[in-house]
Amino acid sequence: MGEYIIKRTLQMTVVFFLFLVFSYLLFNAIPGNAFSNLLLNPDLPPDAYNRVLELYGLDKPLFERLQLYIVNFFKGDFGYSYKSFPKTPIELISERLPRTLMLFAIVNIVSFYTGFFIGKILAWRRGSQSETWITLTSVFSYTVFYPWFALMMLWVFGYKLGWLPIGKFLYPEKWYDAPFDSDIVFSSMIKFTIVVSLIQFAAYLATRGIESLSSRRNLRFASLIAIFIGSYFYWNNGAALIKKPYAADIAYHMILPVMVVTIVAFAGTALLTRTTMMEVLKEDYILTARAKGISQKRIRDRHAARTALLPVVTSFIFTIVTIIDGSVLTEQIFSWPGMGQLLLQSVLEEDIPVAMACFSFVGVFALVAHLLADISYSYLDPRIRIKSQG
Amino acid sequence: MNENIEQDLQKQLRKEAIRRNWNLFRQSKLGMIGLYIVIFFLFLALLQPFLFITGIWNKGVYDPVVGYEAIKDTLLVVECPKEYPTEKYESMKDCPGPGELNVKRLYLAPGVEVGDYYETFIQPAPPSSRHLLGTDSLGRDVFSQIMEGSQVAFVLGLLSATLGVGISTILGTIAAFFGGRVDAYLMRQSDLILMLPSLPLLFIISAFAELKVWHLAIVLGVLGGLGGSVITIKSQALQVKVKPFVDSARITGGSRWRIMFSHVLPNVAPLALLFMVFSVTGAIASESVLSFLGLLNIDMSWGIMIYLSQTDGFIFSGLEFWWLILPAGLAVTLLAGGFYLVGRGLDDVFNPRLRKR
Repeated sequence: MGEYIIKRTLQMTVVFFLFLVFSYLLFNAIPGNAFSNLLLNPDLPPDAYNRVLELYGLDKPLFERLQLYIVNFFKGDFGYSYKSFPKTPIELISERLPRTLMLFAIVNIVSFYTGFFIGKILAWRRGSQSETWITLTSVFSYTVFYPWFALMMLWVFGYKLGWLPIGKFLYPEKWYDAPFDSDIVFSSMIKFTIVVSLIQFAAYLATRGIESLSSRRNLRFASLIAIFIGSYFYWNNGAALIKKPYAADIAYHMILPVMVVTIVAFAGTALLTRTTMMEVLKEDYILTARAKGISQKRIRDRHAARTALLPVVTSFIFTIVTIIDGSVLTEQIFSWPGMGQLLLQSVLEEDIPVAMACFSFVGVFALVAHLLADISYSYLDPRIRIKSQG
Repeated sequence: MNENIEQDLQKQLRKEAIRRNWNLFRQSKLGMIGLYIVIFFLFLALLQPFLFITGIWNKGVYDPVVGYEAIKDTLLVVECPKEYPTEKYESMKDCPGPGELNVKRLYLAPGVEVGDYYETFIQPAPPSSRHLLGTDSLGRDVFSQIMEGSQVAFVLGLLSATLGVGISTILGTIAAFFGGRVDAYLMRQSDLILMLPSLPLLFIISAFAELKVWHLAIVLGVLGGLGGSVITIKSQALQVKVKPFVDSARITGGSRWRIMFSHVLPNVAPLALLFMVFSVTGAIASESVLSFLGLLNIDMSWGIMIYLSQTDGFIFSGLEFWWLILPAGLAVTLLAGGFYLVGRGLDDVFNPRLRKR
């Protein structure tokens, strides 16, 4: 097991260097950027010209520039953004990343649970009329042309019904006399969400061992209600009370994107669970369980669904890789100022340092997620675990 | 003589296998629905050139990119009252009513009096018997655009899927067969491709290359072919490699390449076909997203139709101009979903653990 992890980490390090080289060459292939536009300006004094050349190493051959880039990458130095000059790409990313992560963490957790639940039921009711219809709906939401769907939802809920805001992160007019900026409020919201989800997760773990299905469900439900009451007291007392209206404004803007992405994202999990569950239901031990006279619900939830969970969890970890990738469209459509929007805009505006920083950051993110997926897979799948031990 | 009999027997066996698989496929309801959808769009894609060649459709009118038809509408010029309600109009919203035109809108057309009939061009025009799905804001036929879009989708989807699956099958088999350094290199390459964020990568590529349908198909095919599917196909090929018939082929003196191509590849092919069908879905979606963001150099596709309806501001006009918004979006969704369902049906055929009985 340990050997496997070390081997995999080494491999991934090699891959990461390849990634850095590849991404530099890719950006190098884009014709023209703000430097060359600057250098083409005939009014530029010669010493300024030389300084620009020297500062960014533009007069050096490709190989040396590449070396410089890799060294600077590990120093965390990406230069300055062209479009919002005094800020560095790192500052921009650290401002934008929490927003993306918050949005998509909620989406992923909600869609994983609904997807797993629906997929379980689909496989169980195989061949029935309702199975066909629910599967067709899931396939529709899995393959729906996402920007189109998001715009239609925006039209329905934001414009026609007017229930939810049309895009954006907050209403600026509500924040004119706010005593703090939105990032502070948002970070306290993130802390709150993390604590709440940890409590609920702990409740899940604690109730795992309970045999009776109904009392387990009741206990989990009780913990959920306790969380609701606790959060009510938290937001109505002390420091959080001042932040409450502002936090509510941000949360109000989050509803529509979360809803739309969840509708699109749950289907993938549901369809995968359906397939793996169907495979599991053919196994002999399910037949044995049936012969023993165990109730249908128990076979479904404790015998079949648990085994079917394994590939679903792995694919769930792999979807973490695609968070930033998939956030590009969502954030563009809902004008949510996150990483995806930053990446798209910096590429379109040829803000190369920011684009490169974002791209490499996505690479690091994907790398870590892949490594985690591999390790957890080797931990979850006894075949790999035992093979590497023996 | 003997050879002939053997060939006949092989032919018969192959026919038998196809018939059996087709029967299995027919049992899955969802797979059949997907197949019908795909056939429907294939029919649409082939219908357009047929209509142009036989002259049923005039190219000047129905061409998806440069066609134009002015659809005239005659409106009665009325004067809206200052105070509501009147006998004819309940509120301000009812004036001008259907088929009527407020005289104040015509301040640029002198000599038109109240009570006259005024002729205008309507663009986008609603569906009629001449234009089944109406025309867009430039007077082009939407139905013809949908047909053109399905041609683009089929060419792109099938081309990129074939290319990708070809690459990944060959590389996966090579990795399984040669092992060692080749295998290690190919696996690291897949890791690298898996790590690249696909949409941003396509943005960057479209920033330095004018992407046409062909180029996009090649880019998508290569990216898909070098990525994760190599790993899956390799693991399948490893399972085939240890089967007894491969050993007996080796003992009878088959060369490495011959064993690879005539014994292992056919056994990996079903999985590859499955990958192909699923990657068509991805290719269609990628094309639509890129043209929706205006990053492709294509004349007409479903993504561009949605892009145009969004930039012209029709997408928030609700369902008043539904023929500009719904057909293109639904077409992308349905074709991608159709291919997905066909893939699911094939999965039921090739994966014995998924069968009902």
